[in-house]
Amino acid sequence: MNVRTSLTGPFPRSEALVTATRDLDRGRTTPQAVEELFRATEQEVLQLEERLGVDVVTGGYLDWQDLFRPFAETWTGFTVGPVTRWFETNTFYRQPILHAPPERVAGAIARRLPAGLHGSGAKPGKVIFPGPYTFATSLENRSGETTESLVHRLGKLLSEEVQELRGTGFSTFQFQEPALVVRPPTGTKAEATLAAYRALAEGLDGATSLVWTYFGDAAPAFPLLHRLPVSVVGFDLAETDVADLTTWPDHKGVGLGCIDPRTTLVEDPVDVAAIARTLWEKGRPSSIWLGPGGPLDLLPWEPAKRKLHLLPAARQALTGAHGGAA
Amino acid sequence: MTPRLYPTQEIGSIAKPRWQLQGQRGESLDGPARSEFELWNQKLEFAPSNGTAATFLAGRSREVGAAQVRDWGALFALRYFESAGLDRVYDGEARRIEMYEYAIRQMRGFQFLGHVRPFDNKYYLKAAGTGEVRLDHPYHIEEFDFVKAHAKGEPKLPITGPYTLADWSYNEHYLGRQKGWKGRTARRTAQREFVVEIARQAIRPTLRALIDRGCKVIQIDEPAAGTHPDEADLVAEGFNAATEGLDAEFSMHICFSEYRSLFPALLEAKRCTQWAWEFANRDSADVDGYEVLNMFKEYGDTRQIGLGVLDVHRDEVETPQVVASRIERSAKILGDPARIWVNPDCGLRTRSLAVAYRKLEAMDAGAKIARERHDGSAHR
Repeated sequence: MNVRTSLTGPFPRSEALVTATRDLDRGRTTPQAVEELFRATEQEVLQLEERLGVDVVTGGYLDWQDLFRPFAETWTGFTVGPVTRWFETNTFYRQPILHAPPERVAGAIARRLPAGLHGSGAKPGKVIFPGPYTFATSLENRSGETTESLVHRLGKLLSEEVQELRGTGFSTFQFQEPALVVRPPTGTKAEATLAAYRALAEGLDGATSLVWTYFGDAAPAFPLLHRLPVSVVGFDLAETDVADLTTWPDHKGVGLGCIDPRTTLVEDPVDVAAIARTLWEKGRPSSIWLGPGGPLDLLPWEPAKRKLHLLPAARQALTGAHGGAA
Repeated sequence: MTPRLYPTQEIGSIAKPRWQLQGQRGESLDGPARSEFELWNQKLEFAPSNGTAATFLAGRSREVGAAQVRDWGALFALRYFESAGLDRVYDGEARRIEMYEYAIRQMRGFQFLGHVRPFDNKYYLKAAGTGEVRLDHPYHIEEFDFVKAHAKGEPKLPITGPYTLADWSYNEHYLGRQKGWKGRTARRTAQREFVVEIARQAIRPTLRALIDRGCKVIQIDEPAAGTHPDEADLVAEGFNAATEGLDAEFSMHICFSEYRSLFPALLEAKRCTQWAWEFANRDSADVDGYEVLNMFKEYGDTRQIGLGVLDVHRDEVETPQVVASRIERSAKILGDPARIWVNPDCGLRTRSLAVAYRKLEAMDAGAKIARERHDGSAHR
């Protein structure tokens, strides 16, 4: 059983970063001081990830104000819009407003990735992007382009980003797709999503790719999710019951979102292992990825750190192998 | 006393004046704070301009003391609403930090765990329910006593509702009692227990104490209601548990939600006599933000409507004609103008005091226009 562990989204900011960014907004500190603290905290997250033995590291994406902001701020065609609720949570994002067909700007997104991911750390880094369907359906589209066409276009643009980052050594890419399970596409939108991921596959060129879903039950969306040309499909175990699954495609890995970011209670690794084994009995996924079910920044810093210790514990419960310091 | 047609009310907090924030911290007022204090005090006369106020303006905030500054803040807000013409007022939540942390700090069974980020560089301190919910002392009591002693009309007290307090907390205690994997069924069962316990153990005793002190009109704020539409029945259940056996007028304030997704479950909030909702934010030249009122007809619900007519997210001040038109459109949909109370969409704290005041004046003027037009047509 090929079991891997990884963070699957942004990590919360430390209390020191909370204070610093608040101070920045109130003119009580300098942008340079806050920038330095972001980089230092990123290193702290990377060290935590390495200590826990995760297979690909993220650095926490601490300075991304939301999933779309780096794109809305650097790609052409966008302005940054109003504060908008982020699915069924008490968190919000600034809705990108698309005025014209978007174009990417070479190098711009690469510069927004956690600085530590570019370094020569002991573990490979994971790039986490919005998935094309979630991106297209979370923005306000004033461009005149249809949703279908936009989903496909965003897939192609993200593919170009992936190609660029492949050239700098990245080999694991994750696409956040809560919308695929919260408002699953059907008909032409489902086909456009497939087309977008086919375009992405060209840029991926054999790299490991994960589609990660959360905030909703993935079971109704599995027929589409299984068709996506990606290495791994991840889903949130707090929302999806594996008993609803009848099979799993042999060639595809499964991502088990086993840390629920909506509760500070720490999950039992024995429960996670039991769920993984149930799934293993229904198919033979090429790999099992264990990670948070959704963005961990729904939690404060300390509880999130505490909960991450589930990853090596669950891996051990599943395989008997130590994945890192628990 | 029967209120006039289209009576007006505030709906929550306003921005805290600069002089109040600096004064509470014991700082000397800077120039803008001093000007702000003088300007509003001249208009509203909330602090006698000699004696203590003179000491305050002279930069000796510490001598004046935080308690006095907070009293001025509450009195300022009362007079602010009253002078803008509102029928039902409160103190603009002048004594509260915000609507979550203050309430939770009055209860036992919670532990604050750190900050979470709703967006950008904004944060709030979030607690986990770690034990049985209990209340040491009812809260908002002194605040209400002060308002009651100084308000010229009937005050309306706002209080954060049980569902919102539960939703904005982590549920460790009740969820932890569920056996095995914490899937959707376990989470919902635990959430129901959490909501009902907050309602019974903390909100209801507080409401009872407030009613004993003479509080007759209470607004239960449930901004989290729209976050999880499939839990609208829990919002109603929490409301009922909080108000069980109590005698007062209870309204429920919800904003920025897809209201249709909450119905019909929310209708089970039996002791709610008024739905105080945001509408203006969704009203534009292209979209009728009040069309959703048809839902009440569809469900045969005849309760009062707290009609949001001011968009609290825009500085642009609505004209009295726009306000009047919103009231009249709504009266036509509801078929009964007497069911309408007129209010801002939500608390005006996001706007400057000057802008918020002009909006409230426009609201009062708009209600007057609608009232006069109604009376005129009634007499023809």
